[in-house]
Amino acid sequence: MAEKTYLQAISDGLRQEMRRDKRVYVIGEDVGVYGGAFKVTQGFQEEFGPWRVIDAPLAETAIVGSCTGAAMMGMRPVAEMQFADFVSCAWDHLVTVAAKQRYRAGTPVPIVVRCPSGGGFSGGPFHSQNPESSFAHIPGLKVVCPATPEDAKGLLVSAIEDPNPVLYFEHKHLYRRIKADVPDERYTTPFGEARIHREGEDVTLVTWGAMVFTAAEAAEKVAEEDGVSTEIVDLRTIVPWDRKAVLASTEKTSKAIVLHEDTLTGGFGGEIAATIAEEAFEHLDAPVKRIAAPDTPVPFSPPLEKAFLPQVEDVVAGLREIAAY
Amino acid sequence: MAIAREAEPVGSLTEVREFGLDREDLLGIYRHLLTTRGVEERGHILYKQGKIPGSFYTGRGNEAASVGVATAMGPDDVGTPLHRDMGVHIVRGVEPWRIFAQFMGRLDGPTKGKDGNVHMADDRLGLIAMVSHLPAMLPVAVGCALAFRIREEKRVAVGWFGEGASARGDTHESMNLAGIRRLPVVFVCDNNQWAYSTPTHLEYATEHVADRAKAYGFEGVVVDGTDVLAVYREARRAIEKARAGGGPTLIECLTLRMEGHAVHDDAFYVPKEMFEEWAKRDPLERYRSWLRENADFADEEEDEIRGEVKKLLNDAIKRADESPLPDASTLLEGVFATPEDLDTPHHK
Amino acid sequence: MATGTAVDVVMPQMGVSVSEGTITKWVKSEGEPIEADETLLEISTDKVDTEVPSPASGVVQQIIVPEGETVAVGTKLAVIAPPGAEAPAAPVPAEAPPEPATQEAAAQAEAGSSGEGGAPTAPASAPAPAPAAEEVPAAPPSPEPAAEAPAPADGQAEGARFVSPVVARIAAEHGVDVSQVPGTGRGGRVTKKDILGFVESGQAAPAPAAPEAPPRPAEAPAQPAPAAPAPAPAPEPRAGEKVEPMSAMRRGIAEHMRRSLDTAAHVTSSIEVDMTRVAAIRAKLKKEYQEAYGVNPTYLAFVARAAVETLKDYPWVNGELRGDSIVTRSFVNVGFAVELADGKGLIVPVVKNAETLNLLGLAKAIADVARRARDKELLPDDVQGGTFSITNPGGYGTFHGTPVISQPQAAILGTYAVVKRPWVVQDELGEDVIAIRSIMNLTLTYDHRLVDGALAGRFLRDLRERLQTWGETDY
Repeated sequence: MAEKTYLQAISDGLRQEMRRDKRVYVIGEDVGVYGGAFKVTQGFQEEFGPWRVIDAPLAETAIVGSCTGAAMMGMRPVAEMQFADFVSCAWDHLVTVAAKQRYRAGTPVPIVVRCPSGGGFSGGPFHSQNPESSFAHIPGLKVVCPATPEDAKGLLVSAIEDPNPVLYFEHKHLYRRIKADVPDERYTTPFGEARIHREGEDVTLVTWGAMVFTAAEAAEKVAEEDGVSTEIVDLRTIVPWDRKAVLASTEKTSKAIVLHEDTLTGGFGGEIAATIAEEAFEHLDAPVKRIAAPDTPVPFSPPLEKAFLPQVEDVVAGLREIAAY
Repeated sequence: MAIAREAEPVGSLTEVREFGLDREDLLGIYRHLLTTRGVEERGHILYKQGKIPGSFYTGRGNEAASVGVATAMGPDDVGTPLHRDMGVHIVRGVEPWRIFAQFMGRLDGPTKGKDGNVHMADDRLGLIAMVSHLPAMLPVAVGCALAFRIREEKRVAVGWFGEGASARGDTHESMNLAGIRRLPVVFVCDNNQWAYSTPTHLEYATEHVADRAKAYGFEGVVVDGTDVLAVYREARRAIEKARAGGGPTLIECLTLRMEGHAVHDDAFYVPKEMFEEWAKRDPLERYRSWLRENADFADEEEDEIRGEVKKLLNDAIKRADESPLPDASTLLEGVFATPEDLDTPHHK
Repeated sequence: MATGTAVDVVMPQMGVSVSEGTITKWVKSEGEPIEADETLLEISTDKVDTEVPSPASGVVQQIIVPEGETVAVGTKLAVIAPPGAEAPAAPVPAEAPPEPATQEAAAQAEAGSSGEGGAPTAPASAPAPAPAAEEVPAAPPSPEPAAEAPAPADGQAEGARFVSPVVARIAAEHGVDVSQVPGTGRGGRVTKKDILGFVESGQAAPAPAAPEAPPRPAEAPAQPAPAAPAPAPAPEPRAGEKVEPMSAMRRGIAEHMRRSLDTAAHVTSSIEVDMTRVAAIRAKLKKEYQEAYGVNPTYLAFVARAAVETLKDYPWVNGELRGDSIVTRSFVNVGFAVELADGKGLIVPVVKNAETLNLLGLAKAIADVARRARDKELLPDDVQGGTFSITNPGGYGTFHGTPVISQPQAAILGTYAVVKRPWVVQDELGEDVIAIRSIMNLTLTYDHRLVDGALAGRFLRDLRERLQTWGETDY
């Protein structure tokens, strides 16, 4: 057990798997000599050589598509999208081939696509997105969004082990900002099991990724200033997602807010809100509220981006509104 | 002006023997050609009888191209054949009754009714099922080759695409990556001159699709796709070159799609003269004549093979028709793979 | 305040749920002068009959909708022209419905009239202008009436009236009248915490159930029942009448009875049971039980004991329809309808796990809950969780009835007077003879959505068999 950043936890988890399992290899733009745009694979090529840490041409379809072929031949590829935004260039392949191969042809496709996601640093419209919901809509793909260093490692190992295509959204804003103890040994974090980040009685706040920490700050504030007790449910994985935990918490508090950094319309929060309405209706004491980014591209300039991303104050306001309902 | 090499037709039996085919192999090729065409002709009839739901595609005119390449593949090689490449499934050993079951949406089709027509493959036979998006299987074939290269296995992947699909970016990304890494992959372009109703000059501006190979740093070859032996010779050269570490090759098999895009399409847009011209080069008839002229192919032998194929297909249709339709309760099965699904030779 | 330009008079929204109104009378006719706030016309809506004051001073230039016609809220009814304008002018093009401000005022007006202390609707005959709260200024709203309106704090009454799903569920489970619960939520809304606190404090009227179905009122209420009706203003007593407010318990009973009939498909089957054997055994046990335990082995206890035993073979009769699912259980919690001492209500305390009790235990349990019910010592928990109910109006000599099922249960058993009747039995030789027997009628009222008639019939048959063959050593 040692204190590690979120970034180190991902890097360590990946290295551990590559040492343990020769089938695991990494492919992506600048992942080799350079060690990856965010240095997740720094030092990997020295250790594993150029055929397991593969510098790919700028070609997301070929990167992810080749992972599918290699996976069918028994490898365990881990592709890195330089930014989650660029996965759109591989969307066709993921959705058309990888997602459907098991269902229609019986062929499993055990690949992991790492997608550094999220904003908060003036990345602008093409380096800041959170495209998890568009993949969550595709049957056959799994989607994970770790928030803590411990989960980042455990979920990555689970993703590599999983016999399905897994989109692994690692939030760039957490990379070096979040530090916590991470077990040294290999471990897996199960998919579909939410984590209660903070226990509470009055309002359930369902979220994932970097918003877990925004939620935590807001929860602290309303606890101190308003005496409102917030239960934060960190989903950890979007597909599959832990309906049971969300419903159990909602039934306890009778009030639910869903918070995500992705834009509002068609965001995964809508699915959660709808599920709560369908399955916990008679437990509700307030409308299910969504807090999300507005339906715009991610703007560049700091005041605009700040207005775009859900801020602690936004969550505080939402918690107050629902608590007082 | 062509950049790709234009392959010569195949000449004598002696030449054929030089690249490794004995007389049994030659008769086997004929049997596969007959079976390939037979499966599609019978399928077409079943379709018109209402026994096949959805739509139905054939590869008439492309039999020699698909049988020729598949015959050149080694047992451990893999491929991603398309809807004009029935011959690949036949050569690799997919039993015709399972193909008919697939056409009819039955439980014994390779996809168990989850997908239709030639969207199928038996991965135990080294084949990967295609999707409708073309050429989406090329990056997959490149990935297979990448796996072989990482593990330093002497295996080759064959990826098929059409001249229409050559217009899409996947083709470029795949060939570029394969060229950079000199991967053991052979790209086979089934150039049947019509992408649905779009002729070649609206799909690409070079003389041949294979002319592009040079830009990716490997060899391109154009071969007459109606000449099964020439296709075999070029495919074998390319596959063995790849196996030996020589990198990819792009083989363009030039044919004419002798029917519509699918059976609902009468191909009115194809000039009549073009059909007449290419009908003279029917791949089965062409090979049969060659066998008669060069390999003492006798009437009795031919009758015997035809009889065998006929019986094979009759039995196959009967067996496929006995296969049950999938139960609606299986709808939700298999969206996600389970760890047990990885219990296959590929994943050992 | 004379208008400078022509002003439209529109059909006001007399309450948020009201969508249309009928012109009952035009007080002014075309060409007549009119002052602002002077009554222009009278309307009738689902909720209220009222006068509509003129939004401006001037001349009634045009009356567009005649008397007797029903039009949608917001429809233009008339045009008031500046003083001295010639009437009627060219047709005025139709315009948009009233501005939000007007609707808000209307909503507030409605809230005011139904909230606490709100004046009842002025009788149509009252000549004076109605209180501002009752009026809806047509566009443009003049500031004065709005300022005068006794509007509660922003959305107050609206919030108080809204019942959230979880509060509705808890209210139904505990037989609580939500309007009796003080609300601390937005606009005075009753929150989950509020109602749970209310229930825990013991103020909740226990879930009422199982009285005889009240006779349907001859005159069905004209209005469709609103989801959460605000207490209606008390009616004026007519000659010889006395009017008193409904108690919370009575309101709870009324609501529950109505809801049960709206929910379950009630069917009643009856059976005659020869209780002669039970009567003899009871006579023997009575002394023993009284002396040793201070308990009377009532016929009800025998019937309850036999019913609990029989329910084991009929899980659906002891079951529940929950959504699309059928719930059955391994236990029997029997509710017993108990009339309160003052005769002004009844409650249904529950004997939990009756399947674990023998005759003596059941007799004691029934006596215990009945006493505590009459002494108002029941805890909230005592009236919850019933899976089957028994009502016993037979004490008054009634021989038949059709009780109402206590929701969400599937059935209720009615027990009636034990009377001696001439009865055809077989003598030792197998010959039919007439004998004097103690006969009791039993009814099973069941929810036909879950329990079919044949099943109910078999249940009653087995129950009768059990009672008629009660052995000396059966407990």
